[in-house]
Amino acid sequence: MTKIVEKRTVDMQIIGEWVAPRSRVLDLGCGRGALLDYLVQSKDVAAVGVDLDFARVTACVARGLSVYQGDMTGFMRQFPDRHFDRVICSRTVQELGDPAGVILEALRVGRTLTVGFVNHGFWKNRVDALVRGRKVRNDVYTTDWFESRPANPVTIADFEHFCAAKEITITRRAHLRGNWHSPCRTLPNLFAGYALYDLAK
Amino acid sequence: MTDSEENAPVGSPFAAGEVGVVTPRDFVCPRPFTFKSGQVLPGFTLRYETYGELSATRDNAILICHALSGDHHCAGVHSADDRKPGWWNNLIGPGKAVDTRRFFVVCANVLGGCVGSSGPSSLNPETGQAYGISFPFVTMLDMVRAQKLLLDHLGVTTLHGVIGGSMGGMQAMLFAIEFPGYTRRVLAMATTARESAQAIAFNEVGRQAIMQDPDWNQGNYGKGAGPRVGLAIARMMAHITYVSDASMDRKFGRRKKTTANGESYTFDVQFEVEGYLRHQGQAFINRFDANSYLYITRALDQFDLAHAYGSLESAFAPVQAESLIVGFTSDWLFPPEQNRQIALAMLRAGKRASYAELATDLGHDSFLLESEELYALIRAFLERSHIVAVDFSI
Repeated sequence: MTKIVEKRTVDMQIIGEWVAPRSRVLDLGCGRGALLDYLVQSKDVAAVGVDLDFARVTACVARGLSVYQGDMTGFMRQFPDRHFDRVICSRTVQELGDPAGVILEALRVGRTLTVGFVNHGFWKNRVDALVRGRKVRNDVYTTDWFESRPANPVTIADFEHFCAAKEITITRRAHLRGNWHSPCRTLPNLFAGYALYDLAK
Repeated sequence: MTDSEENAPVGSPFAAGEVGVVTPRDFVCPRPFTFKSGQVLPGFTLRYETYGELSATRDNAILICHALSGDHHCAGVHSADDRKPGWWNNLIGPGKAVDTRRFFVVCANVLGGCVGSSGPSSLNPETGQAYGISFPFVTMLDMVRAQKLLLDHLGVTTLHGVIGGSMGGMQAMLFAIEFPGYTRRVLAMATTARESAQAIAFNEVGRQAIMQDPDWNQGNYGKGAGPRVGLAIARMMAHITYVSDASMDRKFGRRKKTTANGESYTFDVQFEVEGYLRHQGQAFINRFDANSYLYITRALDQFDLAHAYGSLESAFAPVQAESLIVGFTSDWLFPPEQNRQIALAMLRAGKRASYAELATDLGHDSFLLESEELYALIRAFLERSHIVAVDFSI
């Protein structure tokens, strides 16, 4: 349990360092608003979250956050270029129907886009698939296939290939080992459990 | 808890958690009031009710704004044997989502109304007759300004929040625009920043039903008289726009009234839904003035924030309040999209604003729904301490 709580706070620690004080931040798939609340408290940001679920939106309202219930692409289309200093897409990207569309739209409305995802190229995930021949299950993806949301697993190699193909500039990256804590400097697609990127276009 | 509260039956308006017996009061403003049209009244009256106590710091007031056919009686009952509590009694009361143990709740009948506030059925002191259609044209802004004078009279220094659904939502937004330093929270539900062509069209059919009734007589009719047929038809039609296909089908389906001869090739009431609408129409003419209906629907038609302030973003530019806009999936009078646009414009203007959408099948009147989810949202919005808004507009 402690392990999972630690994993949940990894975004807060790293994104918290990357976010400029008093900047305008949009969190796509903000959930109950824990990350945005942290950024408001620690960096005094002007925060807006987007989520699909009424109960999660209620939780954000209770935290005093601005939150919009609805589709994230439809939301972003309503804003002028560079309206936000930073858009955050943390652990959402693997569940998007049109990841390229969302990322490119986020790079239009935001000066910087932060993307965080679980690296499905991590060796344990590979072994899981190869040896067990089953859907990957770990601390983060705990459920069997039949009770999981549709997912589009992404690896560090996939993501960097996508950025190169779309001429998206990677301005900052953080690769973390399987413990999601210590930095991973060698062969990240094999040895990193979690990846965070700052992108610009 | 007192003995009487303990012994009260659950669900009765006297149970713990109920506002109980309330008495409407009149605020008489003796000073001339200039309407947006430029027309002037020598003074005006607003009938209102309050629940809860104004705090020593005078900043715990919540203003409730009613919709087209509503009035100042939004909670509690008028006497011990009054069986019909106020129209938002499910929301307002001790321990409820709008908690009268914490908040001083104020609700007034709008200017132009007919339930005690100055309107076309009021007597013109110069003629001794009802104003009729010589009453000044009323806009949403006039309604809001009159309610602000009432709040000043009550000694409210800051509004903790202003809440309204439908037309009440329009007033709530205007409060934040016109009195930005005064209004801390706006909760607007099932509303719009701009009356749409469809909504104007429905209003026009209602007005035509009234004005084509010979008893309307250019607005000149005595107390208790007037275009009863026209007003009833206007109400029957409007009522359909407040509900939905699904909710009507669930409530009435194709069920028929039991008639003596069973099958009927007549134009008498056959279906339950017909009887229900006729009842709605009849009940309405006993409590509502036809000229007020014309005035208030006209005020709705004219409501267009973008037009009035140049754009929606410039309309919301002065706002300091935190706003929460709530849309309802089955509302086809002020659909979710129109509610969404309000929150989006506020966010574009750099304001603190949220949009939540509740899945219901009850149509426009969903905002009056008894829903624990909705209560939780409203409570979350009202009970958090206020954080001063910081404007990050570029």
